[in-house]
Amino acid sequence: MDAGLLVQMLIGALLGLSVYLPLYCGQLSLATPGFFAIGGTVAALLSTRVPAFAGTGATSPLPALLLEMALAGLLAGLLALAIGGTVLRLRGIYLAIATIALVEILRVFNLNLPFTGGALGIFGIPQPFDSTTGYAGFSLALLAVVCWLCARLEQLRLGRAMAAIRDDELAAASVGIDTARVKLTAFVLSALLAGLTGALAAHFLNSWNAKLGSFDASITTLAFVVFGGSRTWLGPVIGGLALTALPELLRPVGDLRLIVFGLVILLGPVLFPQGLITPQLLQRLGHGCSVVGQGFSGAGRRLRGRLSGVRRP
Amino acid sequence: MSAPPLLAVEGLSCRFGGLLALNNVSLAVQEGEIFGLIGPNGAGKTTLFNAISALTTPSSGQVLWRGQPIRHPRPDRLSRLGLARTFQNLRLFDSLSVRDNVLVGLHRFAASPLAAGLLGTAGVRRRQRQLEQRALELLALVGLEDGADLAAASLPYGERRRLELARALATEPRLLLLDEPAAGMNPAEKNDLCELIRAIRDRFDLTVMIIEHHVPLMMRLCDRLAVLNFGERIALGTPEVVRHDPKVIEAYLGSPR
Ligand SMILES: Nc1ncnc2c1ncn2[C@@H]1O[C@H](COP(=O)(O)OP(=O)(O)OP(=O)(O)O)[C@@H](O)[C@H]1O
Ligand SMILES: [Mg+2]
Repeated sequence: MDAGLLVQMLIGALLGLSVYLPLYCGQLSLATPGFFAIGGTVAALLSTRVPAFAGTGATSPLPALLLEMALAGLLAGLLALAIGGTVLRLRGIYLAIATIALVEILRVFNLNLPFTGGALGIFGIPQPFDSTTGYAGFSLALLAVVCWLCARLEQLRLGRAMAAIRDDELAAASVGIDTARVKLTAFVLSALLAGLTGALAAHFLNSWNAKLGSFDASITTLAFVVFGGSRTWLGPVIGGLALTALPELLRPVGDLRLIVFGLVILLGPVLFPQGLITPQLLQRLGHGCSVVGQGFSGAGRRLRGRLSGVRRP
Repeated sequence: MSAPPLLAVEGLSCRFGGLLALNNVSLAVQEGEIFGLIGPNGAGKTTLFNAISALTTPSSGQVLWRGQPIRHPRPDRLSRLGLARTFQNLRLFDSLSVRDNVLVGLHRFAASPLAAGLLGTAGVRRRQRQLEQRALELLALVGLEDGADLAAASLPYGERRRLELARALATEPRLLLLDEPAAGMNPAEKNDLCELIRAIRDRFDLTVMIIEHHVPLMMRLCDRLAVLNFGERIALGTPEVVRHDPKVIEAYLGSPR
C-alpha cells in the first residue's frame, strides 16, 4: 500500500479516537476538527516562523516536532478546558450544534487572522522525516500509544464513570460521580489528542489552511465512530482506518466512488446499529483467543516441565 | 442538647407548573431509624425523595443534614455526605456488567493518580482487587454473586432491584432512600426484602427512608411513618399512631359521605 495513504488512515484513526472520547461518556461533540485545526496552525506557524523549530533548510528535527505536538495539544486542551464548562451544559443535538459553531468560528479566525495566510494558508512546512515511510512509522507508534492509553482508560475509574454517565447521567451523579468534571475531562482529552494530531498532519501535508478544520470534517470524523462503534476504542480506530482508505481505494470506479462511499456510511449504521466493533464481538473473539492462549501457555508449562526434568538428576 | 436529626426537611414545597406536588412538608429522620413514607399514587412521595437527593430543586423550604442546611445541593455532593438512593423506575447502568455497576458505586473509594492508574502500578492493581472483592461482597449480600459478569440489562426485574440496592450500598451511605423496593414482588419476596432491609440497617448502621404501598408491611417494618396526600403531610408518627389517624383512614378509604 501507498505509505501516504497509510499515514492519512492513521491520522483518521487518531481523529476517530478524539471523537470517541466524549462519545464514550455520551457527549456528542463535533469539535474535533476545530482542535485539529488549532494544532495544525500552531505547528505550521512555529515551524515556518520560529527559527528554533524550523531547523536547517527543508528539514526540521524530530524533537521540534514532538515539542510542537505537545504545545499544540496543550493549547487545544486549554481552550477545551476554558469553554468546556459552558458548552457541556448542553445535551445531545444541542451540544453537537454548539461544537459545530465552535469549529466554524475557529475556521473563520484561521481565514482572517493576519498571520495565518488567509485562504491559501501556510506553505513549505519543513519535514522532520526524509520519506513518507518515516511518517508512517511515527504515526503508527503514536496510534499504538494512544490506543493503549484508551484501552487502559476503559478499565480505570475514569473510564467506568464515563460509561456510567453515558448509560444514565442522573444515576451516575447519585452515586457520587462529579459528572460535569468527568465530561470536561473527556472533552479536554479529546481536544488534546486532536491538537497534537493536527501538528503531525501539518508537517505531513506540508501546507496548512482553514479548509482542514471545517464542518465537513466534523461529519467525516463522526462517521468514523458511528461506523466503527463507540463502545470500545477499537471501533473508531477501525472506522477511521477504513473510511479514510475507502475513497482512495475506490478511485478506479471513478465518480461512482462518492456514491459508494455514501452508501457505506448509510448502510453501516443500518446493518450494525452499534457500529462494526462492539464489546460483545470482542468478547466472542477474546474467548477464541484465550483458548488459543491457554493452549500456548499449557505448551509452555509442559516445555518448562521437560526442561527442568532434564536438569533434575 | 440532643444531637440534631440526621435529615430534616423544613417547609418543603415543589411546584410543577400549576401542580403543587409538595406543599409545605416538614419532617425529621433520626439516626438509625427506618422511616416510612406512604400515601396514595401521585401524593408526592417520589418528589420528596428527589428534592432530598437534589434531583429536583424545591420551590421553597430547605433540607438539613445533621442540622446544617445543604449549600449548593448537588446529587454527587449529597452522595459524598452519605446519602444514597434507589429509583422507583430502576436506573441501572445497563450496558455495564453487574460487577461494574457496583464498582461505579465504589467510585469515591477508587481514586488513584491518573498516571499510576494508566501504568497499572502494583499499588493500583492491589487496590483494584480490593474494590472488586468489595463489589463481590455487596453482590453476595443481595444474592447476586453468581451473575457478576452478566450485563445488568439482562437481569430479571427482581434482581435488577437488588443490584440497584447493592450499588447504593457501595457508596457507604449513612442514609438510604428506597423508592418502592418491593414493587412487583410476591408476598414471600416482600417478607424477604423486609428482613434484608433490617439486616442491612443493623450491619451498616444505617438510617433508612422507604416508600412502599403495601401498608401492613410498612406497619411492621418502620419505626415511624409519614403519610402524604396531595403533597401535604397529613400524619406522622409510630405505626400505631398513624394507623388510627382519621385523616389517614380518610385518605386511604375516601371520605364518608
Ligand atoms: N418533573 C415533574 N414535572 C411535572 N410534574 C411532576 C414531575 N414529577 C412529578 N410530577 C407530578 O407530581 C405529582 C407527585 O408525583 P410523585 O411521583 O412524587 O408521586 P408519588 O407519590 O411518588 O406517586 P406514586 O405512588 O405513583 O409513585 C404527580 O402528580 C406527578 O405527575
Ligand atoms: Mg413514586
